Parts: sequence; structure tokens; C-alpha cells
Amino acid sequence: MAKVELPKCIQLSTASLVHKYESLPLLTKTAMAEKRRSGVAAILSDSKPAKPDTDEEFLSQLGVGVLLRGALLKLVEARSEDPIGFLADHFSNLASESENGAAGCGDGEKDKATQEQRLARALWHLKLAHHSQRSAFNNNVRIAYELLMQGGPRRGGGGGVRGRIYTETLRSLCREGEVSESTAAPLMRRIQCHDHEAVPFELFRQGVLTCAVFSDYVRTSRSLYTAVRPSPEALAQRALCQAVLGALRDALDTSQCADSARYLEASAKIAPCRLAKAMASAYRPRGGLGGSVMDPKEFEGAAAALFIARVRVLS
Amino acid sequence: MNADRFTLTVDEYLAEKNVLFYMEDAVNQLLEHKEEYTQFGIARYFAEYFSSVRNGNHILFREFAYIRATSHNRASFIRIFWRCFRQIGKNGDLLAMMDYSSLLQLLCPDFPAEMVQKTARIVLMDDAMDCPMSFADFLYAFQIQFFYEEFLESVAMIYQGLLSGKSPNTVIVPTSTSVEQLSQLAADETAAQEGVDSSLFSDCIEALCERYKDDHPSRFAFKEILKQTQRMTFYGFLMALTKHEGISQDIGALPNKADLLIDPVMDQELEKLIAQVSISPASNSSSCAPGQKEPVRKASPRKSLHHRKRIELESDGSTEETDSSEN
Repeated sequence: MAKVELPKCIQLSTASLVHKYESLPLLTKTAMAEKRRSGVAAILSDSKPAKPDTDEEFLSQLGVGVLLRGALLKLVEARSEDPIGFLADHFSNLASESENGAAGCGDGEKDKATQEQRLARALWHLKLAHHSQRSAFNNNVRIAYELLMQGGPRRGGGGGVRGRIYTETLRSLCREGEVSESTAAPLMRRIQCHDHEAVPFELFRQGVLTCAVFSDYVRTSRSLYTAVRPSPEALAQRALCQAVLGALRDALDTSQCADSARYLEASAKIAPCRLAKAMASAYRPRGGLGGSVMDPKEFEGAAAALFIARVRVLS
Repeated sequence: MNADRFTLTVDEYLAEKNVLFYMEDAVNQLLEHKEEYTQFGIARYFAEYFSSVRNGNHILFREFAYIRATSHNRASFIRIFWRCFRQIGKNGDLLAMMDYSSLLQLLCPDFPAEMVQKTARIVLMDDAMDCPMSFADFLYAFQIQFFYEEFLESVAMIYQGLLSGKSPNTVIVPTSTSVEQLSQLAADETAAQEGVDSSLFSDCIEALCERYKDDHPSRFAFKEILKQTQRMTFYGFLMALTKHEGISQDIGALPNKADLLIDPVMDQELEKLIAQVSISPASNSSSCAPGQKEPVRKASPRKSLHHRKRIELESDGSTEETDSSEN
């Protein structure tokens, strides 16, 4: 499965985990409930040719060690704030993955439900690591991609994630990143695909990364607006907002040189003293009347537009 | 846990929330109930296990050793106890020590009576131990006793030490003469007035906290308590801990006293049940016309309980006030 920078141990553990599951006759939960007795019998007889003598054999036949090791690796990688909750989610993801795998060919409605579950799981993986932890993030993007591929048409390995699912993923990412539909819409128009298109991994990764960064950016721009407004209830002066947005535009407009130099240049341009200067020159103490205010929505939209203008579409 | 979890080592990070403890327990449980727990797949089993740990109902019907093993388990147990039996508090019944012991054993079969006894000592200030207690009083005392069991044990030792004149904390008492003086003083004063010197007691507990890392009530809280009086008795101190809202908030298992007995969902359910119970014998058949409902409802036992409760709670609150003000 994993082809990118997955650590060897995780690769091994997941591989053997999948193998273990394939060897078990897994049934859906409802089917399980119906034939609970026979189901147990089937598991016992199929997966254990000889009844295990010791606890150790029992555990290793079920693959408990591998399962737990895999979970711990994921946990340590993500360093979740709530490790117990993390493990609960992790195992329930694994369980529904295997249950779905066993469900196999269902009717249309069932297919749709499993697709939604798959999307939810993919989103969960995407949220595990912040995009600044790039290698962990890339791993998770890969896992999510593979998950979403399963939902696509079964055309012997080729193709990629369907455009519709790709767009849906990006939209959900923005939503969960607390970006409103209307703010995200221009970005979506720019990077979405046609429903029937097949999205290759690299494009998928770029799209997901763009949305993750965009969500962070919008949240930061919101705090910028809060800094500009005189009090939490009042609206900010339009002139001040425009000065701040201007500074932001300058910062994003960096010259064409090495990445690290551009980062430095941008952060120098958006430094507090520069911002203060821009705001001071725009500030008119006796203004603030009539139409000279800007509401947070408009500010957010304007800031988002600056970002979106810099998103290059790969072709 | 906050952002500095990224700077911890892997072992420290896992130990913080007892991840390995729960994993080990999950495996042990799996081994004990092999066939039952593997029927839906082991991933599902682990998912259920950890989500029950997250929700705090993993301690239901487990053995005492498990329930007290982590602070999360302790807090979860206190919470479950409250949620299961708060109707008792609502009805305003006063229960004796043995009754509380039985209630606890409904949730945890091997729950030791000793813990209940210690709790009762706090509520009743080590006096008249056969007195019945209100649910709220018992619950908050139980919270302190159960959650901080080891810490309180050590505090009791310190207190005994101070009473008998030798300080368990050698750092604080520099010379042997002062020890003698102190013991003389303590002996004199126990005769005259109860308790030990608050500031000395406070210093000793402070030193104790060093040893307990995080498993103690906040320093701020007990300093606040000990600042208020010159002298403090052991049970006076414990009683003050149970009444301290900050400590209860830190544990995070119980709401504050005002919200303790509010449970609208359960009330509705109960009203429904009682309505059913009181209607069915009244009318011969299952027919329950709306006209019939009203008079039956008014006579429902629930209402009278409500009424009785209010009176008892009020009177109970006032005796309690006088109890604690003696210190």
C-alpha cells in the first residue's frame, strides 16, 4: 500500500494487519447480529486451524501486537492532546475500514453510505498532523488518497481519485478549518476539478495542502481584523483595513528568488513595525463616520482574494 | 496536557495519560473474554474499549484495583456514582454509612467499606458515626477521600506527627530544643484547644506536595484554607477541602453544588414512569383518557417526595453550616 515516506515499521505493520484481516471472514455489523453464533464459529474455525494453547498464541493469531504497535506509532507521530480519544477514533476507523471491506458489493444506497464514511475517514487522516509537520502530513495525505481511491470506479488500478470526491474533500477541509462557504468559494472555483476527471496523487496533495494553508491564512486574517477594530463590538475603519490589506499584498508579492529568502522578505514586510507605519499613515482620528467602516466579512473576503490570486493552477 | 507534549519523550508522553496502562488492561480483558470480545473483530473491540475510557463509563462493574488505578478512573467513578444515584439526593433521603457502602458496591462489587468509613469520618467530623448523611455531603467528601486517598493518608500522618510534637518534616524544625518546645506547646494546646498550628501545618503539606507531583489538591486551595484560621484540626481541614469549589473543579467530575441535583432528562423519564405506574392500577383496562390522567398525577408519590425533599434539604443544609463553622 504506502509508497511514499512511510516509516518501514508502519508499512510492515499495516501490511500485515491488512493481511490478517483478509484472512478473517469479516461480516458487517448487521449480518453479524443476524448470525452471531455461526459468525463466531466461522471466525474460530477459519482463522484458527488449531485452537491456540497459550494466550500469546491467541494474541498473535489475532494480530493484536501488530495492531497495537501500529496504533502507538500513529499516536506518537500525531502527539494528540487526547491520546485516549485518539486511540478510540483510530481503532474505530480501522474497524469500519475492515467492515466495509467485507461488505464489498452492496447496492447503490449502501455504496453511497460507505463512500461518505470513507470521506470522513480520509478527512480524519488529513487532520492528524498540521501541514507544517510536512512528512507526517504527506503520509496522511497518501493514506487519505488511497482510501478515496477505493471508492472510485474499479478500473484495474489506473486513474485516481474521482474529481467529484476530490472537490468534496477540499470543500470539507475548508469547512472544518472554519472557513465559510462564501470565503472558500473563489478558491474552490479555481482548484476544483470536473466530476468525471481522475485526480492524480500530486494534484490531490497540492489541493489538500492549499486548502490547509488557506484555512490557516483565513484564521490569521481574522485575528488581523480583530487587531484593527477599535473594540470587539465596533467595526474597523475602512482606511485602516485597506492599509493593512495593502501591507499584506506587499508581503505576498515577493521577488523571484530562493524560497528561504522570500520567507524572510515577506516576514519583514508584514512585521509589526511596518504594519503600524501603514496604519498610522492611514489613520484619521476624526473619521469613522458614514461608509468609512469595513465589516469582518468583507475584510476576510479581500484577504482571501489576495491569497487566491497567488494560487497557480497546474495544468 | 498542552503544547509542551511535543517536547516530552515518547515514554513521558504515553505515561501522561496512562496510555500503556489502558492498552495492557484492554489486552487482559480481551484474554479473559476471548470469544465474546472477538466476534466483531479486534479493531472494533479496541475501538469500543477506548471510547468507553474516553466517555468515562469504562469503570462500571470493574474491580476496585482498576477503578483506583488512574486519576481518570477515579474521577470517572465519582462521576458515575453521582449520575447513577443523584435521584437519591433529589429525594432528600439521608442514608447511613452502610447504605452508601451498598450503593457503591452496586457499581463496584469489591468496593471496600473502609473507604466509605473514611468518607463518613469527614462528613461527620469523626463523630457520631452512625448518623445518616445527605447525598451531597457524602458525595463531595467521597470525592476528596477517593481521589486524593494517598495524599490524605500522608496528611493524616503529618497531622499526627504535629500533634504528638515531632515534625515529620525535618527541614522545618531546625534544632532539637525547638522540637521539645513545640511538643510541649502542642501537648499544652491539645488540652486547651483542638488542632495544630495552621501555618506549620501548611508548610508541612507544602513539602508533601513536592513528593506527590500532581496528585494533590492545588497549593493555592489549601493555603487559602489554612490561612483563614490560627489552628486547624485534621477533619476540619478535610471538611474545608470538600467544600472548596476550586478543588472540585480541578478534579472535574462533579458540577458545583447548585447544579448537583439538576437532571431534567431523568426527571422527565421518572415522571413518565410514575405516570404509567400510577395510572395502570387506577384504570382497569389500558385505556387512559386524558381526563383521568390529571387527578392521578396530582396524587403521584413523586410529588410528595419532591415536597419532602425540599424541607429536608433546607434543614440539612443549616445543620451542616453549624458543623463546619465550629472549626
